[in-house]
Order: sequence, then structure tokens, then C-alpha cells
Amino acid sequence: MILAMLRVMTLGLLRDRGALVLAFVLPPAIFVIFASIFSATTSDKLDLKVAVAQLSSTPASQRLEDALRQEPTFEVTGPVRSNRADVESLVKQGAADVGLVIRGEIDDTDAAPLEVLIEPSKLIAGSIVSGRVQELVARRLPDLLLSRTAVTFQSVVGAFTPEQSARLAAAIEAGARVSEQQVSTNAPGLVATASVGSSGSSGATVSYYAGAVAILFLLFASLQSAATLIEERNSGIIDRIAVGPGGSAVVVLGKLLFLTIQGVIQVGLIFIVAQLVYEVDVIKRLDLWLLITVAAALGASGLALAVATACTTKQQAQTVSTFVVLICSAIGGSMVPRFMMPEFLQAIGRFTPNTWAIEAYYGVFWRHETLSDVIPEIVSLVAMAVVGTAFALIVSRRRLRF
Amino acid sequence: MGSPAALEVCDLSACYGDHEILRRINIRIERGEIFGLFGQNGAGKTTLIRAICNRLQPRAGKIVIGGQAIRPGVSRQIGLVPQEIALYPHLTILENLQVFGRLSGLSAAATKDAIGEVIKHTALADRLHERVEVLSGGWKRRVNIAAAILHRPALLILDEPMVGVDIEARITLQNVILKLRDSGVGILLITHDLQQAETLCTQVGFLHKGVIAPQGAPRALLDLAFDGQHEIIIETELPVSATDEAVLRERGFSAVEGGQCWSVISNSPLHEITAHLEQSGMATKEIRFRKPGLDSLFLRLADQPGTVFEGHRP
Repeated sequence: MILAMLRVMTLGLLRDRGALVLAFVLPPAIFVIFASIFSATTSDKLDLKVAVAQLSSTPASQRLEDALRQEPTFEVTGPVRSNRADVESLVKQGAADVGLVIRGEIDDTDAAPLEVLIEPSKLIAGSIVSGRVQELVARRLPDLLLSRTAVTFQSVVGAFTPEQSARLAAAIEAGARVSEQQVSTNAPGLVATASVGSSGSSGATVSYYAGAVAILFLLFASLQSAATLIEERNSGIIDRIAVGPGGSAVVVLGKLLFLTIQGVIQVGLIFIVAQLVYEVDVIKRLDLWLLITVAAALGASGLALAVATACTTKQQAQTVSTFVVLICSAIGGSMVPRFMMPEFLQAIGRFTPNTWAIEAYYGVFWRHETLSDVIPEIVSLVAMAVVGTAFALIVSRRRLRF
Repeated sequence: MGSPAALEVCDLSACYGDHEILRRINIRIERGEIFGLFGQNGAGKTTLIRAICNRLQPRAGKIVIGGQAIRPGVSRQIGLVPQEIALYPHLTILENLQVFGRLSGLSAAATKDAIGEVIKHTALADRLHERVEVLSGGWKRRVNIAAAILHRPALLILDEPMVGVDIEARITLQNVILKLRDSGVGILLITHDLQQAETLCTQVGFLHKGVIAPQGAPRALLDLAFDGQHEIIIETELPVSATDEAVLRERGFSAVEGGQCWSVISNSPLHEITAHLEQSGMATKEIRFRKPGLDSLFLRLADQPGTVFEGHRP
């Protein structure tokens, strides 16, 4: 009997081209878009357009300007301006991501010699440029940095002796002559960065967003399909089926089976793209992928059935479904990684299937976790399926009385 | 000993919370019999169907279907045809029948056999491979019935089976219902179409505020209620004037619809009434004369419950 319901749902999907596209074409397409965006932002090739104003005319500030122009990670927009207002205007208009104003000498300790102008929506771009300018000065203009440090040092320990002053001047002069390569060999930077894990950071992002998009679409498609339960209730189909030997439970369980199979195919398509385009090694971890995917599809289906049985009209179901998908995806990490959220949101997120599904996929494909590592995630997803389905069974039976 | 009755409802009472919906209902439908159940909205018809379908626990009483007291599983002796088109519109007629055959507990092979038999009863063979969504109202209604009889139920519940169909489709559906009756199915027909019920039903019952009173064969009930009386229906060209209305009311007429149709159930000879109307100068469009039907009885029961059968116990 459950297979008869599965047949109804399958034929319904196959005969509705719009639903087919929504279920099986849109998810991989959205995944490709997300993966393209976020794999780019996690590489070190983020190109920022910087507008520069030079308010000083000393040789040192000219050297800084030249260094900025030669730096491949900066794209200096247009000619260097001679006033701050021009740069501010370019940032406001969006012609530049960030503005950089060279206000004075680097060794000026009374005021910051460099000013970064940031548009409030691009705060992170400002932080990146600030960090890179400091790193650039340390790497390519070490003499200027030494001059600035000497001034600070002198104010703390008192005046240098003539001999110390002479040595310092010689060191500064030598620093100005040293090539960039020599600087990097002789004096390693304060901070060095290294990637952890087996591949580049874009692989981690792709693994993350494959899971994030997969669970988002599992929820979306399950809630859409489960809403047919309301049509069946309104058209008297459930009344008719309920007098049969399987009762209304057949409808709920038949839909659970269909939604789970639909979900596995849907997530399968996303991960095929992840394997082929982004080299996420799905085939090597196929057993765990299947286990997580079945659990995630069951969890999403259980939640969808609970929503569909609780709603009385299709319109109400659509409203509630939109709310559920957006909230679960937002706090569950499908839109923004959870580590960026405040602690209370991270705690609430644990009640969404998104959190557990993303953690499980990320664990398997990036952290190379084993079955025992992802059991908590799988158990949580299955528990959601059990609770949601039990709720749907009880409510659908109660609804027959009224 | 003959086969057990399709449905026996004995002293059934049911309530929602403290509100009593059904009070000591008794119905018996033999196999091959059609029982028409009428009642105003809110009279308790839906609650009665729910109780028979084992979806509602009665407060008291007993329901026996095909000789078996109602309990989970016995309801498979029931075929339910809801008022709505309870079919999957994106599936063909054949696919719908296959699905509902399996959902009613039949094996694949038994479903195939049952479909063969059912399409003979309902004359669906010509369009088996067409999707339900493209069918006309009459065809949909036929498929709606066919999907409920695949498992050969003892009792078929038809809830308003002919709503929204044209006259031709109505005649076809009536023939389908009569064929099913002749095949030995007991039918509970819930309808507001009392003329149709008069044609089809072997027994009828009027449900009013949770009580069935009266019930019996349609002709017997009408004879008891109207004992030799006849009904005169007058249609006028225009809404009647206050003077004409006074004349009509004096002769016992009451307005039927919109002030241009008036009827009376009376023992007075027709010529006496028409002569009186002619004298008054009323411009009549049509005067009809007929034996009172179930619709007249229903209206009278709704207006004066308890007085219609005074002195008689149907």
C-alpha cells in the first residue's frame, strides 16, 4: 500500500516539469553558484580596488606609493589623487572598494600617517587592506618602519648616544638599499600562515556549501511535496483511503518514503557536481555519504510532514514552509557559517537539521571523519525524522475525527 | 438464512465534547437496497458517516457492517465516495483505479481483476488512459464511484454523488447506482436532490437535530404525510402585489422562491382554486398540479417537525 502512495507521488513529480526542475536542476545550479562565490573568497586572490590619495610629497611617501602600485594584490583605481575628498567620493560611489590616504611620514608618531576609508558594508575589505598595507611596509620599506620604531624606542629609553645614532642611521640607510628578497630571507615576518587539512581552503568551502545547499534544498523540496497532503485532505482522498486497511498512516508513510528517495537523488546530483567540478572525493566516502544523505532526507521529510499535517490550508502551509526553510537555513548554517553567529544562535541552530547535516558532510569530506565521529549527527537527523513522522501520524489521524 | 444486512445502526449516540450530535439513531440497509439520508446542514449527517467509517467513537450504540461489528479493519467492508472528486487529477483513470485498488488492500492481481469488473459497471472502458484532470464532471463522478467499489464492499456510502453534473451525466450516474444496487451492494445515499432520491431509494430517512424521524419507504411516508392531498404550484409573470399575496395566503399558499412561485398542499379541487385566482385577476404564467414529493415532505418537516405524522408512527 505504501508503494501505491510512492507511485502516486512519483507520477505526480514526473508529470510536472516545473516541479522536476525545482527538485533536480535548481539544487546543483545553486550549489555551483555558492561554490564559485565562496571558493573564490577563501583563496588569497581576492582583488580589491583601492583608491589612493597622496597628501605628502616626501621621497619616503613616494616610495610607499610606488610600492602600492607594484603590489599585485592591490588594484589601484585610476590616478593617485591629491586630496582626501576625491578618494572618499570614489568609495561612496562604489568605484573603489577601499580608500587609502597617505597623510604624512611613516615615522610620524603624533598621528597615523595612513588612513583607510571604508564603506560600512565593506568593513572586512577595510581590515584586509589595513593588514596588507602594514605587511607591505614591513616587507618592502623596512627602513621606514625602523625609523618609526626608533622614534618610539627613543621616547621610552631616552636619547641615543652619538655612536648609537650613527649606527641607527647606517642601519636605516642599509635597510633602504636591501632588496625585498633579502629582507624576507634575513628577517622572517612576525606572522606566518599555513592551511590545515589535506587540500586547499577552497576544498573546505566547497565541502561546506555542498552540505549547506543540500540540506537547504532537502527542506525546500520536502515541504513543497508534503503540502500535497493538504490537497488530499481537502479533496476527500484521505477520507477515502482512511476507510481502507492502512488508514491515514499509509498516506503519511508513503510520502515519507517518496520524500526520502527524492531527497537522496537531489543530494546525489549536488555531490556529483561537487565531485566532477570541485574534486570533492565523494566516491571514496560513498558509504558514509549515503548514510548521512538518507538520514538528512529522513530528517527533512519528517519535519515537512509535521508542518503539512499541522497546517489546515495550502496557503498556510506555504507561509509556514517559507518561514521554516529560511529560519532553519539561516540559523542552521546554510547561508552563513555558524561560527560567525552569536553563541545563542549557535545553540538554537542545533535544533535544525541543517546544523547536523552540514557538520556531518563537512566532517566526512574535509576532516575525513569516520562513522563513529558522525554518529551523533546521524542520530540527531534520524531523531528529527522519528519525531516529525510520529507527530504527522497522530495529527493526521486526529484530523479524521473533525 | 440470507446474507447479513449491509448496515445495521442500533441506538447510536455520538457527541463532540458535551455537545450531542446523534441521538439513538437506528438504520438498517439490506444488501441490494438504497437508503436515502436527508437533513439540513448541521443535522449530523457527516458525524453519522464518520461513526460508520469508524473514525469517531460513538458514545453508545452499535454499528454492524456486513454482519461484523465495527472495529478497526471492518471498515474495509465500506466503500466511501466523498462529495469531492477524491481522485488524483494527474493520474489516468486506470492509474487511479490501480492505486485505490492497492490502497483498499487488494493484491496487484486482484486489483487487475476488480478493475475489469468495475469498468463494466461504470462504463469507463473508453477513456481508461486519460488523465482525470481532463475529464468532464460526469466522468469524474463515475470514476469517483468506481474507485470506491474495487474491493467489493458490502456497504457503499455515496455523499452527494451527482453534484454539478448535467442531466445526461446524471442519468448515466443513476444507472450506475442502480446497477450497483442490483449487484447486491447496500447503498447509503446522502443527497439534497430529493426528486432523485424518490426515484432511486428503497428507504429514506430524515435526520433532524441528530434524530432520524421519520424513516421508511418513500411512497409510504408520502401517503402518510399527505394522505390523498395534492400540491398546486403557481408561477406568476411578476412578483405578486400585496393584494394578490393576501389572496394566495388566504388559500394557504406559501412563497417558494423569489415571490413569483407559490405552492400549497391541499385537499381542495384544482378547479376551485384556479377559479378563485381568476376572479382575483392575478396574472399567472403557469399552474402545476402534482402529488407531493419528498421535497414537499422535507420542507414541511423542516418547518413543523413533529407535527407531520401526528397520529401515525412511520
